[in-house]
Amino acid sequence: MSQAAREEHVHGRQWAETSHCRVAGVRHFGAFTALELVAPRVAAKAAPGQFVMVTVPGAGFLLRRPLSLFTVHGDRVGLLLEARGAGSERLTRLEVGESVDLAGPLGSAFPLAGAASALLVGGGIGCAPLQYLADELATAGSSVTAVFGFRDFRAARAAGAFAVERLWVASEDGSTGRRGTVLDILGVLDVPPGTVVYACGPTPMIAAVQRWALDQRLSGYASLEAHMACGTGSCHGCVVDTARGRLRVCSEGPVFALDEVRP
Amino acid sequence: MSAPPDPTNVRLSVELGPLHLEHPVVNASGTFDLLEHARRYEGDYFADFPYAAYVPKTITADGRTGNPAPRVTETPAGMINAIGLENPGVDAWIAGLPAWAHLRQPVIVSVGGNEPGQYAAVVRAVEAHLAAADPGAVPSIEAYEINVSCPNVVSGLQIGADPAATAAVVGACRAETSRFVLAKLTPNVSDVTAAARAAVQAGADGVSLVNTFKAMVLDRETLRPFLGNRTGGLCGPAIKPIALRMVAEVAQALPGVPLVGMGGIMSGLDALEFIACGATAVAVGAANFTGLEAPARIVAELRAGLAARGLATPSAARGLALDE
Repeated sequence: MSQAAREEHVHGRQWAETSHCRVAGVRHFGAFTALELVAPRVAAKAAPGQFVMVTVPGAGFLLRRPLSLFTVHGDRVGLLLEARGAGSERLTRLEVGESVDLAGPLGSAFPLAGAASALLVGGGIGCAPLQYLADELATAGSSVTAVFGFRDFRAARAAGAFAVERLWVASEDGSTGRRGTVLDILGVLDVPPGTVVYACGPTPMIAAVQRWALDQRLSGYASLEAHMACGTGSCHGCVVDTARGRLRVCSEGPVFALDEVRP
Repeated sequence: MSAPPDPTNVRLSVELGPLHLEHPVVNASGTFDLLEHARRYEGDYFADFPYAAYVPKTITADGRTGNPAPRVTETPAGMINAIGLENPGVDAWIAGLPAWAHLRQPVIVSVGGNEPGQYAAVVRAVEAHLAAADPGAVPSIEAYEINVSCPNVVSGLQIGADPAATAAVVGACRAETSRFVLAKLTPNVSDVTAAARAAVQAGADGVSLVNTFKAMVLDRETLRPFLGNRTGGLCGPAIKPIALRMVAEVAQALPGVPLVGMGGIMSGLDALEFIACGATAVAVGAANFTGLEAPARIVAELRAGLAARGLATPSAARGLALDE
């Protein structure tokens, strides 16, 4: 990737003001919950790959939770979440008519330029930002193929939350799609030269996709996940090691060049 | 207690030593980055800057990459962090000053190190730059905050846990500057007044307290320490009652020494409690992580809280919780 292209996606505009947003829709897909929020300010400024910090309702929670943008349609923002701890569990129990506070959009975005052919590789909840990306790539005229991996039947039901023209699914328990991981599908897929790879998922998956892309002489991007406190560049809590040194996932990321991450 | 509860009658400005603060609320070092806020703000963040002074993240003589991840997680009524003083080093920090030289508010430079010479080198470098720089190219650096919660290069223990080591570090910084010097104390001691007294005797003009409480969180699956650094510093509402007790103890032991109180301030009434325990100013830390709007809200709540109690100024509330 050129320095200019890197600067463009690293220094994408971000907004930290808080919006009070009404929950307009809640759908459950196995282990995952899709929220639809009325968030015109976030929706107007968002780009695929960016995230929002979400305040967990209730007195017991201090830190906001980082959630990537799953969909953006008009003034609606979609978030896809999985209950991992008490905070995310509370968010999955939100009901239509309740409100939550969002700050964003934050972080760097996936560059879309030059991706006439795009391959989206997601693992588990890491598939979330790839729907918004697929929508924007399709609008831009790209040919989009997605390969998603889930651990089991409950998680794989999340595939029902996605609408991508060509979607391949793997599950580790063999319950849905091909038995195995995304790598098992990548190994049999016919990928045109020049395809841009977009990956988001657990660290071992990012590492495997990075090796695979190197073998295939493909470049691309990875969106990383980290424990965050502020989400807005202040606390240095969410750093990851990269070819450019230790960088903040919230600020320089979450989207990095695939070849610069050190998973 | 005769004034009507009209917030507009409250005058919030305070004098912290030679620093004139438009209100008593500053940020806690390491929890709030001015330029990161400015680049994510719709308007002019410098015009709307909510704090009465800016305390940047702790600077050390040489750059540091900090601790391995994970570095932060939430805990009951608080959070734990182990960042490890990640910073670019004092020379790179100085080179970045022109980008925010137009900040109107005074700046309190947070200084770290692992032995007295490293602390003094930071203060010396900043003073040399201020003496030589075009005044328009540097912010109004009016004070230093000496962060003694760093580990001692020899013992590995926190410098602030040892009054003699604290005095050595503060004394080394004092020798480099005539500006206002605050010692930021660690609460990881059995008697915080001994550390405060040592700092003041070594030349500190005032005391900030408290830094975070050394603590541990486990990964409940593996039962191993969760943080990359094994231990970290606990902050947030969970520590506020202990912090209030410590501020009151120092206020009682060292009357007349200006104090900056902090530890779990989430609201204006929390801030007011620290003032009642003897603080002249207060610092907001973890609350910055709840949203960009937190500082302005806390200042407004402090104003309303003073008015509701018929108190016209923060000084009128100062020390109300202390013994006669």
